Amino acid sequence: MNGFLTGLRAELYVSLRSFSSKLIILAPSLLVMAQYIITKLGQSGQQARDGLLGSSGDSMASNNAYGYYVDGLSTGLSMLGLILVAYAAHSFAYDRDTGLIRHLIIRRISRRALLLVKLCHIHLLALVSLLMLMLVARLGSGLFWEFSAVVEDGFELISVDEIRSEIFLGLKLALLPLPAVIAFGLFISVIAKTATQAITTALGISLAMDVFKSSLGDFAHYLFASFQSSLLDQSYLQEVSRIVRGYSDVLIDERVLQLNLWIPLPEMVLLVLATLFLVQRKKL
Amino acid sequence: MSKQDIPTMESNPIPDTAPDKGPNKTAANSSHSASSASSATAELALSISGLHKQYVNFPVLKDLNLEVGSQSILGLVGLNGSGKTTTIECILGMQGFNSGSISVLGHHPSKLHELSGKVVGIFDTPSLHPNLSVRQSLQHARLLCAEPVRSCQEVEQMLGISRFSKFKIRHLSLGNRRKASIAQALLGNPELIILDEPFNGLDAEGVDDVLALIKTLNQEQGTAFLLSSHQLPYLEKVCTHIAILHEGKIAISDKVESLFSLEKQEVLVECDQHELASSVIDANRHTHLIKVDDNKFLHIELSQFTTAQLNRLLVENNIAVSHLSLQRASLDSLFRHISSEHH
Repeated sequence: MNGFLTGLRAELYVSLRSFSSKLIILAPSLLVMAQYIITKLGQSGQQARDGLLGSSGDSMASNNAYGYYVDGLSTGLSMLGLILVAYAAHSFAYDRDTGLIRHLIIRRISRRALLLVKLCHIHLLALVSLLMLMLVARLGSGLFWEFSAVVEDGFELISVDEIRSEIFLGLKLALLPLPAVIAFGLFISVIAKTATQAITTALGISLAMDVFKSSLGDFAHYLFASFQSSLLDQSYLQEVSRIVRGYSDVLIDERVLQLNLWIPLPEMVLLVLATLFLVQRKKL
Repeated sequence: MSKQDIPTMESNPIPDTAPDKGPNKTAANSSHSASSASSATAELALSISGLHKQYVNFPVLKDLNLEVGSQSILGLVGLNGSGKTTTIECILGMQGFNSGSISVLGHHPSKLHELSGKVVGIFDTPSLHPNLSVRQSLQHARLLCAEPVRSCQEVEQMLGISRFSKFKIRHLSLGNRRKASIAQALLGNPELIILDEPFNGLDAEGVDDVLALIKTLNQEQGTAFLLSSHQLPYLEKVCTHIAILHEGKIAISDKVESLFSLEKQEVLVECDQHELASSVIDANRHTHLIKVDDNKFLHIELSQFTTAQLNRLLVENNIAVSHLSLQRASLDSLFRHISSEHH
């Protein structure tokens, strides 16, 4: 399709030799690992203090690895979301700034195919990063804590299967906005005048959405960003973290679930269509 | 042509004259003047008709007409802000235009990718990924080549950048980045190469190498070139045709030698009797004294009169001539002449 495969090969060639690609893949996992180490060190200190004072902590909650696993995923996805929006905003605008895009377009690839190449490439990076994040979160949480059902006074409150099922749902719902995040970054990348402007605008808007989503009330559910793991997290994954620790038994509201399932992807499609329209008219 | 026929940096002969136009050369080039009527039938690498482009309310290109024949080398010259880069960006589909038409090897500028590398554009700012090495940049460009005809090593050797092969682009000088950029174009077998300010940042040797490459590719592979540059002496060495862009229009466009014939022949004479010589020259209807400069050289314009005849005229009038030279018309003088005319 107008050089799509050639473009993808060329994009991957650069990506394999680029530091920013490695950063996208490794940064969320490294952050999660650091989070686990800091948490474990904090817990060890607390346990030592409790031992000296003769008090006992909430061992059920603090030793169940599922809670930390979900926390790790939530932290990693928050960072991944921010990195992806910045990288997507940088990708097209930077190639335009360096003039690299001119070679691609004159020689083999149509503008629209190039945009789809970028979209596909960033999704590939996101996928690899996500797999890495899940692996590191799983291994890291398993290394420091134990995976078990939520048990209180000898009663099993939540079984392992139920925990896994909620984690799977929470993860699925938190992942659905990521394609829209990437599409939003690319949209900004195409309309911005420089790469620096693109990154600052995309990150600025992302953080602003984070701040304002709580004050938007019900309207926030029509924004893909509301379902994304972020610094001011309102995603279901945040709730899952409480559920798997036995702190909450509130499952996701059916209406919010449906909005989470059906809002992000159409918004992503709209953003991609708008970007495809604009890229044809943009001076390169 | 075999790959080995392209000169490398070490073996490049320096082109010092306008290229020889063989019998297979098309004359198609200038559409601005009536003299180009015969070019309509020739095969064109590039054809621009009635191009109009404006930024907000400022017209940059006004009814621009230009043609580049296949196998010809057109030099596009103009003052700063005359619209050269805008013209090139419109040709290569980097920006749209308000009206008119552009055909590049029969394709609209927005469809150049369909030509699979038959058109190559090299811009004023070398368009290379700063974090890749020279070799990686070439390998990346090779991935985009539908039919690569040369290896990365070969083009590095041709441009004399083999020793920088492992250097990151961002660590190279502007001149070497430009060479790497040109090297990318040579990986394939393009039919039209468009270069915007190709000599910027190059040293004298680098310029000679690039000129030699342009000449060789044109003569042996029939590659057409559109060169936009301020470096008129370089264009003079290599171009078959010149178009002068002035205030968004092609002021004049023709073969190089035809343009030079427009300029009157000027002869520089040094003699011991300036006043007598001046009166003799003024008295002759084929000669006209332009000026006597500070070094007491007489600048004489000839009309249907040869330098030998001028020499004889002076000697017959007992004027001893110690120096006589024909001042060749230059692109620079022609350009200045046309620019001032349009002002």
